[in-house]
Amino acid sequence: MIGAKVDPHQVILLRLLSATTERGRVIANNIANQNTPGFTRRTVQFEQQLEQALQRPDGDPLKVLPKVVEDTTSPRRHDGNNVNAELEANAGSENRLLFETYAAILQGHLQMLDTAITNGR
Amino acid sequence: MGRLDQLFSTLRTSASGLAAERVRVGVIAENIAGARITKTPEGGPYRRKVVVFEPLMRKHGAGESSAVGVRATRIENDTVSPFEDVHDPSHPDADENGNVRMPNVNPLKEMADMIGSMRSYEANLSAQENFLRMAQRALDIAR
Repeated sequence: MIGAKVDPHQVILLRLLSATTERGRVIANNIANQNTPGFTRRTVQFEQQLEQALQRPDGDPLKVLPKVVEDTTSPRRHDGNNVNAELEANAGSENRLLFETYAAILQGHLQMLDTAITNGR
Repeated sequence: MGRLDQLFSTLRTSASGLAAERVRVGVIAENIAGARITKTPEGGPYRRKVVVFEPLMRKHGAGESSAVGVRATRIENDTVSPFEDVHDPSHPDADENGNVRMPNVNPLKEMADMIGSMRSYEANLSAQENFLRMAQRALDIAR
């Protein structure tokens, strides 16, 4: 990109999209392993850290990256597995809606750019 | 594997769950079918089988790896549940006391496991559906 400045809003939206994609992958893996003995469910942390970075005056939201963490607090079944199928399915739907929301915002953003470039024609 | 390939790894994660649950349903069906077999080629009554699930890991350099699904690694004999002796002197496989050694399969437990397995199968299907809709939405941005 020559002379173009990276739009931080767009970068954050793309990060949000990739974080929700990663979360979708992690949830799918939790569901696939719901009957694997000793399996520990994983989650993706991103939005909370991003929010903190956006609120703090010295925070840099562009430095926040999605992180996969093991959930060791959820109760385990007798086989040592702590995946709850219902909660996981719910998280999957919620995550999909989040993804669609971010995609809609990004699309609106791009449409505005398009309008500016074509002068509304 | 290339990066584009990685884009759709979620699809394969769910597919691995579907495949593993299918193996489990197959083994459960085998157990139910064998619930009354008193004489097998190996001798003795039918022995219940169990599927062992293990997470599927993919290594990407420097000791790091990520979970990319599940795999039914092996099918083992259930050596913990005891065989049941049923008194039935008219049975061809009865011993001198009239007892028949029956398989260590509890059909009720197998049915419950079967329902659980089918639910897991469906959960994997809807996870796959979720991913497909997300991917479709991502493609729509470019329209």
